[in-house]
Amino acid sequence: MSDAKHRNGNPDQPRSRRNTRAEQPGTFVDLVKLHHRTIRGSARRLLQTPASSLVTLLVVAVALLLPALLFGLNSNLASLLRHVQGNAQVTLYLQDEVSEAKGQEVSDGLLTRRDIKIAYYVSPSQALDEFSASSGLEDLLQEIAANPLPGAIVLTPTDVSPAAIDELVRQLQELLLVDMVQVDSLWLQRLAAISSLISVIGSVLSVIVILGLFFVVGNTVKLAIENRKAEVRVIKLVGGSDMYVARPFLYTGFLYGVGGGILATLLQGIVLTTFNSNLEVLMKLYESDFQLRGFGFISGIIIIVSGASIGWAAALMASLRHIRAINP
Amino acid sequence: MIKFDSVSKRYTDGQEALSNISFEVGRGEFAFITGHSGAGKSTLLKLILAMQAPSSGQLTVNGVSLSRLSKTQIAHHRRQIGSVFQDHLLLHDRSVYDNVALPLEICGYRPNDAARRVRAALDKVGLLKKEKSFPEALSGGEQQRVGIARAVVNRPSIILADEPTGNLDPALSAEVMKVFQQFQSVGVCLLVASHDAALIERLNYRTLVLDRGELLVDQKPRPTA
Repeated sequence: MSDAKHRNGNPDQPRSRRNTRAEQPGTFVDLVKLHHRTIRGSARRLLQTPASSLVTLLVVAVALLLPALLFGLNSNLASLLRHVQGNAQVTLYLQDEVSEAKGQEVSDGLLTRRDIKIAYYVSPSQALDEFSASSGLEDLLQEIAANPLPGAIVLTPTDVSPAAIDELVRQLQELLLVDMVQVDSLWLQRLAAISSLISVIGSVLSVIVILGLFFVVGNTVKLAIENRKAEVRVIKLVGGSDMYVARPFLYTGFLYGVGGGILATLLQGIVLTTFNSNLEVLMKLYESDFQLRGFGFISGIIIIVSGASIGWAAALMASLRHIRAINP
Repeated sequence: MIKFDSVSKRYTDGQEALSNISFEVGRGEFAFITGHSGAGKSTLLKLILAMQAPSSGQLTVNGVSLSRLSKTQIAHHRRQIGSVFQDHLLLHDRSVYDNVALPLEICGYRPNDAARRVRAALDKVGLLKKEKSFPEALSGGEQQRVGIARAVVNRPSIILADEPTGNLDPALSAEVMKVFQQFQSVGVCLLVASHDAALIERLNYRTLVLDRGELLVDQKPRPTA
């Protein structure tokens, strides 16, 4: 006999229509409404146990804050590095017997090189004037009969990377008439090394934090599922798939991630304000207007989005594993 | 609709709950399963719901062999079946309305369509006024009827009921049976486990008698005069 005929001839049994609906839950608006209901239900459950939810949120926030601070620190260090590297100067001290005219000639000659952006000659008398003006030792210097300072050429290299500067210095040292080449790049190199070290530590810490968050959120979701085992059983019995059962728990993980991310952003703001007021004092001493940056809106968004994705993914892994284990 | 072909179920402790059961229940057919407690009634219903797998034999529902279903297919399989459980299995943190709406929500019904069906189902079991109550505030019989409303709300092609009238007085039992009969008349296949001998006698439907896991009698309805 034909089952299909029976089915279609039966007005009270809209089987085929029902099955299509099961695959496509109404319009997009209905879907949004359904998710909205689910997320509200998940939020309500979090608020039912405010103390333990808050502890979990704090743990997530602190975990997100650590790598965020490190990466923020590093991006500031990198921008500071670019800032000072751009001003990197190389000073060629000329031999004493080089005349001013000769010095100027050498300086002009260097300007033709492609790897040198700016070069200007500082005569011994100019050097003495500048030194006495900046050091405040005019009276004392006037008593010295001969000018002890050599002529110098101050260069700004085109390429400010440490390797390029090293190569330039090596070439300049071979020039005749040059007594000494001075470049203050060692501390720049150290700073660059520290910056890359911080970046490595930041990456390692991020991996550890992600693993830790997976554990924390996963465990929280596992407990939530344990507490609602009877409910999961009933839903599975009336035909709820594992994904359907998991959905509210995914939102739980998502909410922990978003909440932790927002909290981490706020904490980061507090840290930034504290640091910046101290930094301002320090930077005034160096006559710099450098300020910590990169902790703004974008970084907040990144923290919140990472928190949300990690929370969601951790909840997905934990819930599918534990829901699968519950057999009605 | 439901076809058992030499189905046996042996538990890991060696106890044989069902042995070599074969029968078929068709569309629009109403059958009682009866027998002493421990005879295998509940196990039989659990096998149909794919809560457990047979140890041997073939079990086919709606033309689909249950042994080949994936997890997702099992979920879809259960959506075609309305189940009434002996211990009701209601969700205690949801209202009566939300409990009955659950199967529709799982199938993705729109809230408006769902509302109409939920109220119709609650009306059928006489609980329309209790839709905002929570299960704990209801009597055993009322909880039973909420379970029945949930089983029929999705207009399933098969209804399984485990002692659906266990907590009901005769008048309510008759009401519930009337609801079941309405579904039978539109082609739904019903399998009702019960040991209410009086009820079975009065309704005169096909009756499968189980005894210690074996199908003792497959009693067809008496011809009505």
